[in-house]
Amino acid sequence: MSWIVRFLKISRNQWPWMAAGILLGVLVIIANTLLMAVSGWFIASMAVSGSSGAAFNYFFPSAAIRLLAISRTVGRYAERLVTHEATFRILAELRVWLFKRFEPLAPACLERYADGDVAGRLRADVDALETLYLRIIAPLAVGTVSIVTGLVFLLCFSPPSAAVMLLFLLLAGIGLPLLVQRFSEQPGRRSAQLSAELRSRVTEGLQGIEELILLGAVDRQATAVDALSAKLVAEQERLGRINGFSLGGMALFAGCGVAAVLLSASMGVASHQIHPPNLVMLLLFSAALFEAAGQMPTALHLLPAARESAARIFELADAPAPVPDTPVLSDMPAHNGINFSNVSASYLQCKPVLRNISLTVPAGGSVVLTGPSGSGKSLIVEIMLRFRNYEGSITVGGIEIRDLSKDALISMIAAVPQRPHLFNGTIRDNILLGNASVDEEQLQFALRDSCLVSWVAGLPLGLDTQVGLNGSAVSGGEARRIALARALLKNAPILLLDEPTEGLDGATERDVISHLKRRVGGTATTLLVISHRPACLELGDSVVHLERDL
Amino acid sequence: MTEHSEESPRRDNSAELWLLAEAKKVRGLLVFVVLLSAGIGLLVVFQARLLSMACQRVVMQGEGVASIMSIAGALALLAATRCICIYILEKKSASVAAGVKQAVRSKLYRKIQALGPAGLAGEESGPLIETITKGVDELEPYFTRFLPQLSLAAILPLMFLIIIVPSEWRSSLVLLFSAPFIPLFMILIGQGSEKLHRRQWGRLSRMVGHLIDLVQGLPDLIIFGAAKKEAATVARVSEEYRTATMAVLRVAFLSAFALEFFATVGTAVVAVIVGFRLLSGALTLQEGLFVLLMAPEFYLPLRNLGLSYHARMQGVADAERIAPLLAKQLPEGFAGTVPAPNGAPAIIFEEVSFRYGGNRGGVTGVNLELPSGSITALAGESGAGKTTLARLLAGLARPESGRVLVNGQDLTTLAPDSWRFRLAWVPQSPYFTSGTVRENLTLGRPCADENEINTALEAASASQFIGRLPLGLDTVLGDRGAGLSGGELKRLALARAYLCKATIVVLDEPTAGLDAENERLVGEALVRLAKGRTVLVISHREQTLSHVERVAEMIDGRIERVVSATAFLTPWEDQA
Repeated sequence: MSWIVRFLKISRNQWPWMAAGILLGVLVIIANTLLMAVSGWFIASMAVSGSSGAAFNYFFPSAAIRLLAISRTVGRYAERLVTHEATFRILAELRVWLFKRFEPLAPACLERYADGDVAGRLRADVDALETLYLRIIAPLAVGTVSIVTGLVFLLCFSPPSAAVMLLFLLLAGIGLPLLVQRFSEQPGRRSAQLSAELRSRVTEGLQGIEELILLGAVDRQATAVDALSAKLVAEQERLGRINGFSLGGMALFAGCGVAAVLLSASMGVASHQIHPPNLVMLLLFSAALFEAAGQMPTALHLLPAARESAARIFELADAPAPVPDTPVLSDMPAHNGINFSNVSASYLQCKPVLRNISLTVPAGGSVVLTGPSGSGKSLIVEIMLRFRNYEGSITVGGIEIRDLSKDALISMIAAVPQRPHLFNGTIRDNILLGNASVDEEQLQFALRDSCLVSWVAGLPLGLDTQVGLNGSAVSGGEARRIALARALLKNAPILLLDEPTEGLDGATERDVISHLKRRVGGTATTLLVISHRPACLELGDSVVHLERDL
Repeated sequence: MTEHSEESPRRDNSAELWLLAEAKKVRGLLVFVVLLSAGIGLLVVFQARLLSMACQRVVMQGEGVASIMSIAGALALLAATRCICIYILEKKSASVAAGVKQAVRSKLYRKIQALGPAGLAGEESGPLIETITKGVDELEPYFTRFLPQLSLAAILPLMFLIIIVPSEWRSSLVLLFSAPFIPLFMILIGQGSEKLHRRQWGRLSRMVGHLIDLVQGLPDLIIFGAAKKEAATVARVSEEYRTATMAVLRVAFLSAFALEFFATVGTAVVAVIVGFRLLSGALTLQEGLFVLLMAPEFYLPLRNLGLSYHARMQGVADAERIAPLLAKQLPEGFAGTVPAPNGAPAIIFEEVSFRYGGNRGGVTGVNLELPSGSITALAGESGAGKTTLARLLAGLARPESGRVLVNGQDLTTLAPDSWRFRLAWVPQSPYFTSGTVRENLTLGRPCADENEINTALEAASASQFIGRLPLGLDTVLGDRGAGLSGGELKRLALARAYLCKATIVVLDEPTAGLDAENERLVGEALVRLAKGRTVLVISHREQTLSHVERVAEMIDGRIERVVSATAFLTPWEDQA
């Protein structure tokens, strides 16, 4: 349960909202059970005094019934609003916490999520944490508090009834859910797995549909999809049956509980310990109290998956920063020349990719780095940006970069990484990320130098066109040029370009290169380009070839 | 925090009609589910009768525990019967859902395949995948919750009312007149919140993905020193999300409020009426208590219907995606019957135009000849129409005007299957499924023997790396071919094309994204593949162009010039 404590600590600013939501939930259940209890007691008392002719003050109970009816309805509305308000406030808190935690870890530590559907899994995990209060904590707290309160109420009138109710509430609220959880563990896991398999099978089928049609393999692929779907549907059906078992069990325990209270309270009436009309009150109260237990199974059912999501996220958030930020110098480098000497680095600890690389890019000079894929070209950009550690020495302006603060180093570098990310917003937003304080003229220059002008002019919304999630609304080449414009806008003394012309056709590539040469050539900017495209060689004063280290 | 289709609402009810038509196919099971639910309702009536009888005996007649032992036993028995009935009910519901989901998914997927790229123009694959997987799953509550609850809301209250009337007609009147307010208010408020919901939805769904978008782009944020600043944006967007969603929820929860209000107040009024009737001695406790116990049960089906309203909205939202897809007309121009010619065909594009509904891309008035057995490259900027032209040749799309002639015969008159059998196609990112290398290799020809496979691998310079795999041809490829490098996958796709025994080969950027070594290997494989076949290859890479006879350059959807490869590769300045 330490993970729940941790979650509560993160969201401690929202405790008042959370507590208010739980309190309202308890009040609603109490109002409802009391409504039934008072109604039962009221009509039984009315019947008794009707037959015996004794006077009965009906003013108080009928007012109480009205009051309880209204508190229950209004309370339920308020409870829903408050618990949701709390949930969204927690969401804000949690997201900021996560983002701040993830920031120093990117990108090396986040690669754990890279197998499979990155965004989908992260989103599901975050979602599970964000709704932890609404779906799990609040129902369990409300259920437990209401059950305890209800049992105390029963205890005041009939200890034996309280005892039998305790038994049946435990069976319904804890025993049954635990049993159901055990049954549904395997089909639940299987259906999650099959669901993912089906999705990837359908995805590859649709993305490869042209090829499948031309290969005449459409039918065979559809049969494979059918078979997967049938397996998934069968597991879902099993889960449905288990749900039936759970609902049926609930009805069984509630019915038997009421029967047991009937017997125990009747004994109390016979031994004159219970005033006869109170029997009806206790019966109706007990029947209503099972409503409190009713929300526990769903919450307990969600618990294991939420625990796993939380474990994944906390493990991720707790990872030590892959590259510590421990500056020992506060002065900035005197110039922007880069020197690598005997640098080794790797993606994984065990598999070195770069070994003893030495390389010099003089201040204001330019070097093109070529080499086959897998030779670690992109790694050079990542270690320059301090995304990964290195051994040996890398200096900028004669200062070892691990002695600089990351912020100071980054302020000197603009880069187009191997896979630039476009944010879900407009083209303008994405370009201005490079430097929000530029004027329109500088923006136009950057557009021109990344050969975006004519493409943007052809778009109905121009720079205000949305790029879509992960840049899905623009082509790969367009995305790369947007990333290039972004990097150019930063106007940093060092420019790192990883495959700046990937996905461009020959003519556009030549255009981009000649603009880049004009923009950077003759300035003090130090340029390091990584590419395996021959056309890019023109960008460098010198070319360095990297061989794959086998 | 569920997801909805982002589309604007269509105000017609064709989606719901489709759902009902699907329901009709499982009508027998659905009727059984409703009848069983009604039976469970009757058990509730018995339970109320037994409880009130017991109370009458103990409270009013002062009888001892012995007189109610049998009643308590009957109550326990009733509970057990209810338990079993509920289990059977849920089991049947689950099998209804399973049948519907499996049938719809299979039909939908096959329909989408039949529509093919030509019939699916304008559909994005992301939402289609979502519809086939999650969308179909989400139909379940419509059939298992909403439809049965709808019938029960009509049957059960009426049934309960008829049972209550003999005991206490005044209370029955209260119930009768309060009941219609519940659906009325629910509909009024429900529609208001639906409108609000739809209006806000686009904004909301963007905010949901905001954090993930930022996390995925963290490296870029760091490069531009924006990561620390973005933490504030996360807080701001989450705040906006909260305010916007709460505005929707305040209204949406009102419908539940109205429902509970009438149900609770109705029950309270019944309690008070029954109380005074009892006081006046006009009613026995047995009858009075029975009516009081039945009052909440009377409202329960209506409340359940209200709760299943979300199931209906979800089902309709998904049906709005599924039904139009199923109803889509199959594309025209794919009904030819003439068998495709044997041997490498000669191809002529004659004034061929195809524009994707006027958007960018497409080709206009293309005239191009590919002589039998020739190898021709298609060069040009991205967006110049190269892939469109290749797709027209493959028969994946039909020209809007003009003709593609195969040995003088219009391509649209050829039987699509026989043309596809003659054609090998290697797209930019070839299709690979998570199966063995062999399965992927023999997709086009499942019956290929070991000799043919080896020859194809040899020709595509692929036998070396296949030999290095732990299980050779029986190695399982991960998702989307993971485990092999881009160049290796390209060569595998070439081997697959080689295996097809095709007479015409179309390759789209076979060497894009490859390093020099892989580019050379693919180029050599290309030459071997081209022998005795008519080949069209899209490329602007010099390495690849050095293997072809002629280069057709496209600009803006037109063929600009057709020249020899050497002439094309000589820079313009040198030609002058």
